[in-house]
Amino acid sequence: MSNFQHTDKIRILLVDDEDEFRQTIAKRMEKRGIVPEQARNGEECLAILEKKPMDVVVLDVKMPGMNGIEVLYHIKERHPKTEVILLTGHATTEDGVEGIKSGAFDYLFKPVKLEHLLSKIKQAEEKIRREEERLKEAEFRATMEQQMIACERLASLGTLAAGVAHEINNPLAIMNESVGWMKLLLKKEELAEMPRKQDFELALNKIEKGIDRTKRITHQLLGYARKSDSVVSEVNLRELVDEAVQLVNVEAKNKDIEIIREMNSSIGTIWSDPSQLRQVLINLLTNAIHATGPGGRITIIFDGTSDVVSLTVKDTGIGIPKENLERIFEPFFSTKPPGEGTGLGLFVTRGIVEKIGISMEVESQVGKGSSFCIKLPKNLEIK
Amino acid sequence: MLKIPTRVLLVDDEKDFVEMLSLRLNESGEKVIAAHSGKECLEKLEKTDVDVVILDIKMPGMDGIETLKEIKKRFPLVEVIMLTGHGTTETAVEGMKLGAIDYLLKPADFNDLTTKLVAAGKRKDEQEERIRKAEERLLLRKSGNI
Repeated sequence: MSNFQHTDKIRILLVDDEDEFRQTIAKRMEKRGIVPEQARNGEECLAILEKKPMDVVVLDVKMPGMNGIEVLYHIKERHPKTEVILLTGHATTEDGVEGIKSGAFDYLFKPVKLEHLLSKIKQAEEKIRREEERLKEAEFRATMEQQMIACERLASLGTLAAGVAHEINNPLAIMNESVGWMKLLLKKEELAEMPRKQDFELALNKIEKGIDRTKRITHQLLGYARKSDSVVSEVNLRELVDEAVQLVNVEAKNKDIEIIREMNSSIGTIWSDPSQLRQVLINLLTNAIHATGPGGRITIIFDGTSDVVSLTVKDTGIGIPKENLERIFEPFFSTKPPGEGTGLGLFVTRGIVEKIGISMEVESQVGKGSSFCIKLPKNLEIK
Repeated sequence: MLKIPTRVLLVDDEKDFVEMLSLRLNESGEKVIAAHSGKECLEKLEKTDVDVVILDIKMPGMDGIETLKEIKKRFPLVEVIMLTGHGTTETAVEGMKLGAIDYLLKPADFNDLTTKLVAAGKRKDEQEERIRKAEERLLLRKSGNI
């Protein structure tokens, strides 16, 4: 007996003017759990399709009024996703062939064995499913490409912003010097009795403030576009972990996931870039939370030798299949449904580790969990 | 206290900037000459004694880093302060590794600039003092041997 994946979901329409034949088939289908719609002729068939979309139409070729081939044309025109299975007589094989050429899924000879029909319907259903998947993949790819374009645009915007900021700094410097010069002059003895001196001083102060504000903006823009400047300072690891955990705590609690820390107590502080390190921790924790089910556990382990500190984020989540282990660091690679997440977390994390760390390794077992281990120098020197 | 003017060579392709900053520095008691390119800068250094060069990093033709290298090669005692409105702080730090004493981001705070100028002048003075003393010792040794 054929198994239907969506037995309750597949929508079938039987179209045949021979009432007895049609109703018998319908009854036998109903015994298998499928309740088909029925139509006596082409017009009825099309009328039903207008109101209720169907997945598969089983269509007799020889009918009074509109014949099967005509109906087929109309169906394919108005409901292109609907698959049509033609029922032909042995004497009219050409109809069947013509039908397939015109878009029918296949044809069967009457009298038709129910098993053959059901099997054919199943094949048609599979085709429909494959088409849907292909469509979804194409949509996903389109979303990803859009994201990439947006990302590239952001990057080039960053470069543009930096370029503009650079260009502005020069005339800004000229204005700065000119204002400074005027203020200097106003303090001179020969101008002591200058009429309306205070008005000039007021205006000059305003200009100076304006220059200062503009300068802060351009310096900020330049800072945003700065690609590899890291700020090294003393980082208290316990505090850093606390901060990162605090940021993801709500999400973890909602999923009833426990986060525990194992900190080797001899390691208190290291010299590194705190904001980038925090970013790494947050990325790893977020991934762990998304991968782990309710009641799961995430462990943060800090360990180390005299020169090297290792930071591990372990989870009891679904794990990563072997074929994906290389791919997870690719930009935009994600196993989440389209739209959720950017697929950039591990890409960015790896970029940071390349700048301020020594190495990053991942171990994982499907069904058991994953473990990400990052090694950091105790005293970071910016190359 | 008598202020000894620092002899400054201001190098930037932005003429207006050079003009205004020169005015201010001259007014503050320094002695300023100007150049608008790396090439002009080196030419002026050939002809005039200069204590500190204030050097813009991004210039057409010979850029700041190239000019800096030449200055340090041909006029090693001259101090260089780099001015950058372009480029990231990386270039400035690179310059410092090549011998520049400090850097400033445009538009520069005048007080910051004069402070660094004073520091640069001082470093040059101290180095020249050490050279003088070394020459003295050399002279003494020579005359002692006669």
